Amino acid sequence: MNNTVIELENISYKYKNDLILNKINLKINSGEKIALLGKSGSGKTTLISVLNGTIKPTQGEVKFFNESFEELDRKQKSKITTIWQDLRLIEDLSAEQNVNCGLLAENNFYFAFKNLLNISSFKKAHKYMKLCRLHNSIYDKKIRKLSGGQKQRVAIARSLIQESNILLADEPFNNLDPKLITTIKNLLLENVDKNKTKKSPKTALVALHRLDLLNDFDKVIGIRDGKIFFNIKRNNLKKIHLEKIY
Amino acid sequence: MNKLKLNYTSLSFLPILVCIPLGYQLINNIHFGGFKLFQEFLISAFNPKIDNEIIITVIKRLNETILIGFFSWLVSIIFGAIFGIISSNIFYKIFNIPNFFYRIIRFFLTIIRSMHEVVWGILLMQIYGINFSIGIIAICIPYIAVNSKVFAEQLETIDYKSFESINQINAPKFSSLLTLIWNPIINTFKNFGLYRLECSIRSTVILGLFGIGGIGTSIFLSFQTLNFRELWTYLWSLAILIILPGLIFKKIKFNTTNKILSIFFISVFFITILFSFSYFLYFIFNNNFENFNSVSSLFKSSSDLGLFDFLKLILETIILSLLSTGIAISLPPLVIGIFNNHTSKIFIKIFAFLLRLIPTPVILLTLLTFNNPSVSLAALTLGLHNAGITSKLLFTNLDSQDKRNYIAMKSLGISKNTSWLLGLFSQQAKSYLAYCSYRSDIIIRETAIVGVIGSVGLGWQLQESLSSFAWQEVTLVLIAYSSIAIVGELINGKIKNSLT
Repeated sequence: MNNTVIELENISYKYKNDLILNKINLKINSGEKIALLGKSGSGKTTLISVLNGTIKPTQGEVKFFNESFEELDRKQKSKITTIWQDLRLIEDLSAEQNVNCGLLAENNFYFAFKNLLNISSFKKAHKYMKLCRLHNSIYDKKIRKLSGGQKQRVAIARSLIQESNILLADEPFNNLDPKLITTIKNLLLENVDKNKTKKSPKTALVALHRLDLLNDFDKVIGIRDGKIFFNIKRNNLKKIHLEKIY
Repeated sequence: MNKLKLNYTSLSFLPILVCIPLGYQLINNIHFGGFKLFQEFLISAFNPKIDNEIIITVIKRLNETILIGFFSWLVSIIFGAIFGIISSNIFYKIFNIPNFFYRIIRFFLTIIRSMHEVVWGILLMQIYGINFSIGIIAICIPYIAVNSKVFAEQLETIDYKSFESINQINAPKFSSLLTLIWNPIINTFKNFGLYRLECSIRSTVILGLFGIGGIGTSIFLSFQTLNFRELWTYLWSLAILIILPGLIFKKIKFNTTNKILSIFFISVFFITILFSFSYFLYFIFNNNFENFNSVSSLFKSSSDLGLFDFLKLILETIILSLLSTGIAISLPPLVIGIFNNHTSKIFIKIFAFLLRLIPTPVILLTLLTFNNPSVSLAALTLGLHNAGITSKLLFTNLDSQDKRNYIAMKSLGISKNTSWLLGLFSQQAKSYLAYCSYRSDIIIRETAIVGVIGSVGLGWQLQESLSSFAWQEVTLVLIAYSSIAIVGELINGKIKNSLT
């Protein structure tokens, strides 16, 4: 049975005269946890942006569940969640309002309105913020008043509240101390494990810099100069592979 | 020989050179017939008329001014926000609408904005006759367009990455739009709302001078009857009216997390929209356009305006704008720099406040007591009024600036004036010039007001053509006036972009 969730066919992306992604072919199966490795500027963020539909590739096609991204309806698109490297939170909104933004897709305009007026329910948002070890004293604080680590966890909570099938994360463990990294990593990847047996298992593609975090992933993809250098099972990863990309 | 190098500081002072031709014409046009009147005008400022009768009139006239000013402000700020949203690129990105519509709406708003409220007022009064609502409509039309520009500019500062992240959540389009624009809209309202209320009141006063009612009409009538003591009673009460909202706004905290307050603001928002639409429909269906018989009169009317005269009027308007802008830019730093001590600063601030307070037509009429009507006199009036506004901004920025450089320079034995110039003003020069480029847009539009009173440029021609129902001429003048304002806005936009 074909259980491919995401398929990239001959994807290239050119920005001005620079080829950022160069003929990338990739298949991600349902329930797979994939770590994306590569040095800064290798194309990891661009690849994630292509995957979540934020940027259109210059060449090639991205398919989700065998359909092109444009053909997906809003409900299907909302099953993909992204944790951005630069977080992309709304600075003027409070932490809980930002987390509630993750629920915008499954709610109507009135919910968005109530969220901005602070009269919506924050019960679900608080649940996920608590899971991310965010103290309740910061729930109503504006984003610009939070520390780097707190902002990171708000972005993660916003992503988790979407309860999506596919997680795309660009260095989600930045700004976190080692203890928090373990908690957050389990939180992000546990979702995948728990649902693996279900009909629509969850999938994760996470761009990483830290090699000590690889243990929880099934596969490792190495990217350099916009090209995939290796796409192997984590157990097969050797020093020689890493030397190719770093 | 070294080449002359211009920097932002020297560019701030260079426009004062306009005073050479301006001064020459003013000296040639001087007459001594009205010096006594001018003296009486100045003395009356310290001895305004205060009795029961005038207090009742002031209250009545202020009520009218507040009503026109407040309603035109409320309607223009709300519709300005709406048009600001639909003329901002974020709206088109979210809804995937082609940029073509965005350009059309912006162009349309630019044309509306290019004409001063006085022009709209004179035009509407000619068509519908004088009534209270004409004042509100005349202010609202250009103000909606001006406010929309400010709101759109603020919305364009939204971080593109925030847009991408919200867009990626795949929320309904209106939810994404609301979430992204909410805070920029609220912040613009907070930072800009009070200033626009003040502008609305000033515009009501100016339209009052043209007969729309309110305290402006009383000011004009007092001036016509040379009753300067009464005139100053109205001017001082107007000063209180302008200062008061500032004090009230300082006390009000716009807390968007306060549920009751938020619901109140939203109710006001929707009630204003509903009221405006219903009033607009009432206005359209209950006016018989008695003075504007049909559109065909536009084509039937002939024009006696020769090409040469017309070009001369356009040139006069451009010269008037340039001379006034020169004064408005250079006079404040020059005066503050020369008279750089505490006492002088207080006097300059009071003088600048009076220049802002007294409507330009009244300043011009006062100056006409000892000078013949000319482009220079109109330019001096407009320049002084706007210098009052630019000096307020300059004082605010200078007062909040870090003074360590200035103190360090003074401690080296450098003169106080040079230390002020290099240690304080030089750091403000760039942002000051950027603001002045925005101000010059307004000056171009304001040429219409002084033009009508001072028999100069297109403003005067507009009044003449309207009085004789020469609609073809009116159309020509409006097109020329609007074109000058649009070209001016484009040039100033380029200058502003290079400065920011």
